[in-house]
Amino acid sequence: MHSDDALGVITLEHVSKCYYLRAQRPQDLKTAVLHLPSFLRSDRSRRPFWALDDVSLSIRRGESLGVIGPNGSGKSTLLRIVADLARPTSGTVRVAGRISALLELGAGFHPQITGRENAILNAVLLGLSRKEAAERLPEIIAFSELGDFIDQPMRTYSSGMYIRLGFAVAVHVKADVLLVDEVLAVGDTEFQQKCYAHIEKLRAEGVTIVLVSHDLGSVVRFCDRAVLLQHGRLQIDGESQPVVHEYLSRITRLIGQPVSS
Amino acid sequence: MIGEVAAIALERFRRTWELLYLLTARELKLRYQDTVLGFVWSVIKPLLLGLVLYLILGHVAKIQTDIPLQLVILPALFPWSWFQTSAIMAAPAIANNGNLIKKVHFPRYVLPFSTVANNMVHFLLTIPIIMIFVLASGRQPNYTWLIGIPVLALVELVLLLGVVLFISAIDVYFRDLEHLLEVLLNLAFYMTPIIYPLSTLGRYQNVALLNPMASLIEAWRNLFVRNELPTPMDLWPCLVGMAAAVLIGSFVFGRLERGFADAL
Repeated sequence: MHSDDALGVITLEHVSKCYYLRAQRPQDLKTAVLHLPSFLRSDRSRRPFWALDDVSLSIRRGESLGVIGPNGSGKSTLLRIVADLARPTSGTVRVAGRISALLELGAGFHPQITGRENAILNAVLLGLSRKEAAERLPEIIAFSELGDFIDQPMRTYSSGMYIRLGFAVAVHVKADVLLVDEVLAVGDTEFQQKCYAHIEKLRAEGVTIVLVSHDLGSVVRFCDRAVLLQHGRLQIDGESQPVVHEYLSRITRLIGQPVSS
Repeated sequence: MIGEVAAIALERFRRTWELLYLLTARELKLRYQDTVLGFVWSVIKPLLLGLVLYLILGHVAKIQTDIPLQLVILPALFPWSWFQTSAIMAAPAIANNGNLIKKVHFPRYVLPFSTVANNMVHFLLTIPIIMIFVLASGRQPNYTWLIGIPVLALVELVLLLGVVLFISAIDVYFRDLEHLLEVLLNLAFYMTPIIYPLSTLGRYQNVALLNPMASLIEAWRNLFVRNELPTPMDLWPCLVGMAAAVLIGSFVFGRLERGFADAL
């Protein structure tokens, strides 16, 4: 385990991810037949789109890293590759330890069954055993503040309640690495504060955190380090405060007028 | 080192098993939720389908069989329904769960497998109906059922697991398969000795046996109606089909699985 500490709990070496954009591919047979020559040609000349381009990054155990950048710059792709949900086109990824990915709260929740049943299934999907899930259930329910609603079908939940339960399950899956993708923007301010307080607690316990966010204030607050991605390339890597500043001044230069941060 | 590897493998197996159990339990629960009759539908639906076939074949087409017509149809129809419904339901099992596949890391094959398990439960619930019809015709089920049912159910289960791996993986890239499959399964329904015994085919029996389901359905019927245990000699086309389905299914699934998250 100590060699992991030296190398970093997450190591990306020259990672690139290419998606092929299928330009104007015919959607039905008639169009396909009528445009057969161009169809065959266009399929061969699929346009490559590099979502990540030669990214190297090493994250040490216990570090909390903010990933910032404009929409479509590859932030989510980066998280999905670290979470092993997508394979890099080239390069290597090494992750030591158990990962919990909060890419979407309550993925797999079913509206027709109760919050309790969904919480158990979701926890097992995220990597707990049924026994562990059952043990942590009281904690999860308490955190979600759902009270008696926990035994109601989830279709009766408000979207806020849905998010609360999703977050409560995800953070109670004990992991070495927590990946958070812009999921905290939802929910009311009070619950957001609670989530951040919980993430802070996990950080104090030595959990490595990778946070993708457009909320630059929270990146500065919660991350020791930040990276700026643009067009799939890693532009700057450093302490969160200067990186955020540089990002803001780039935006300012681009728009040509000062942005209040 | 070996102990560590074994522990990890065991941990993975346990997780997959628990996930399969929870997903199957959820599907079972959801299937007849908000219906008045609930699980009774599992029994009524195949029975009504059997009744329709009985009326058409017995009173409209007036076919002649050496055993009572209801005993030709029901003991074959119910295991067939397990196969057909599983295949149709499992085809979009991966393709329809894109959101889950893209956001959560878990063994993907539990999705198609859980539909097979779900339909197996429904099939097992219909066995008492077969038993009632067998008893009503004056036959006595004996110990062979206790051996034959688990053996044939296991063969059909493994065959189905291979089949659903294949079709659920292909369906991600080729969703026409769902529609194609419905037509093919309808065709297979008539090519499999379900509404007629295999013997009616005379010298074409050997051709019909190329279909792996043919020998399996015939074995189910012989078990329920004649208390005959299947032998490997009777079942070999199905066993070969089963082995092929598992090999091809897991190979194709393993190959295509990597691209699921990107394709959905």
